[in-house]
Amino acid sequence: MLRFIVRRILLMIPTLFVISALVYFIIDLPPGDCVTAQVDELLSRGDPDALRRAEELRHLYGLNDPLWQRYLEWVAGIFRWDFGLSCQDTVPVADLIGERMALTLVMESCTIAFIWIVSFVIGVYAATHQYKLGDYVASFIGFIGLSIPNFLLALVLLYVGKVYFGLSIGGLMDPEYIDQPMSWGKVWSVIQHLVIPVIVIGMSGTAGMIRRLRANLLDELQKQYVVTGRAKGLPPLRLLIKYPLRHAINPFVADIGGLLPDVISGSVIVSVVLSLPTTGPMLLGALKTQDVNLAATFLLFVATLTVIGMLISDLALAALDPRIRFGATSEK
Amino acid sequence: MSSADLRYPRQTLLADYGRAAVGVLLCGAPLLLLDVNRWLALILLLGFLLFAVFLARTALRHHTRYVLGPDTLCADGPAGTIVEWNRLDRLKLSYFSTKRDRSDGWMQLSVGSAGGRTVKLDSSLDGFHDVVERAARAAEQTGLPLSETTRANLKAMGISVAGQEEKV
Repeated sequence: MLRFIVRRILLMIPTLFVISALVYFIIDLPPGDCVTAQVDELLSRGDPDALRRAEELRHLYGLNDPLWQRYLEWVAGIFRWDFGLSCQDTVPVADLIGERMALTLVMESCTIAFIWIVSFVIGVYAATHQYKLGDYVASFIGFIGLSIPNFLLALVLLYVGKVYFGLSIGGLMDPEYIDQPMSWGKVWSVIQHLVIPVIVIGMSGTAGMIRRLRANLLDELQKQYVVTGRAKGLPPLRLLIKYPLRHAINPFVADIGGLLPDVISGSVIVSVVLSLPTTGPMLLGALKTQDVNLAATFLLFVATLTVIGMLISDLALAALDPRIRFGATSEK
Repeated sequence: MSSADLRYPRQTLLADYGRAAVGVLLCGAPLLLLDVNRWLALILLLGFLLFAVFLARTALRHHTRYVLGPDTLCADGPAGTIVEWNRLDRLKLSYFSTKRDRSDGWMQLSVGSAGGRTVKLDSSLDGFHDVVERAARAAEQTGLPLSETTRANLKAMGISVAGQEEKV
């Protein structure tokens, strides 16, 4: 296992370096830079110092330096938790992302917990009650979740909440808690506001997981050892937990890594629609204004979370079921 | 049956030394050369320790020779131990792969006898198949129950163990 962990981590490190370099260079590829938009605005207002101001800003952000030099400075800064200056407000990126990153992590963690718990319960129920009413209802929910885009569901819930229940769904806390220090009241407000975004973002993931778990469990339940167990009079719950569920759960564990990027990328548009103070809207803004430091930092965090998710799922799978697969070959 | 001296091939050991050195360097160099944020420093320190442990384990394997005899498996080295086949009480055969399709992986055998430490061997060891075969026969003789995973991996290696059929 130690050798496995070492090899997996050694794969992680260059992966993150390559991703960070790709992200940094690609964001900078389009013509112009983050100062261009600001200069255009100053010129449109007839500011005579616009060009001088632009040169000052370029000097401040280091935009006159070669790209590779800016990239290396940014990477070296990561170790000091210094991600450079953001062009949007001329403030350090680390100061901008602090609370947003924490709220994003809370929301994504709740979404993943929601997906696992709901899909596990419904998936097992649907498989053990095949072609019964509950199975049809679960399948219906699954298809609805798969077919409706998250942002559309968010818009529908916004409308229904406002028009029929008089609820304000937008945001992640009541307005009086914004920019206030952490308190129990703020935590409770965040919890209350989390319900809708978690359901909206988690819907498609839950639907997919239900379908996969149901299909895997049905495969296992139709195998001969289950029939033999039933014939020998083994209690149904014990029979279910002892073997079929254990086998069917492996793809569930393997999906942990893939779930994280899905949830994060799915939450960007939903966050914009629901006015959530998470990293999504800020990332979108940073990409539009070519704020390389800010956008690259966000994307590096997403990549890191994805790679960590993959590592966790691989480790869990290796610990749960270290078995050779048919067709896989073993090296000497 | 005569005894056989088994060792890890030089190539495997060199590759593992290389991995450990790269890991120690990647995690240790920023700690020594840069002013690192304390939380990141903690993560790097954990990584450094992990690779250092791996380096130590590779060195242990380098200086250990395994003697497979009719009655025992003896790990002769700095952290040596002995496994008596007729007192075998642990046998686990696992398969690990870093690839998504789980190809090009390696097997790991963990065996131990009552009162002794567990010996862990990777499939890169010369004569690994012979050790697994002997361990499986010992499990058969002592009636040691094997996990479903171990049985599947033994089967993949072409080794069957009598008396270990599926019990529901």
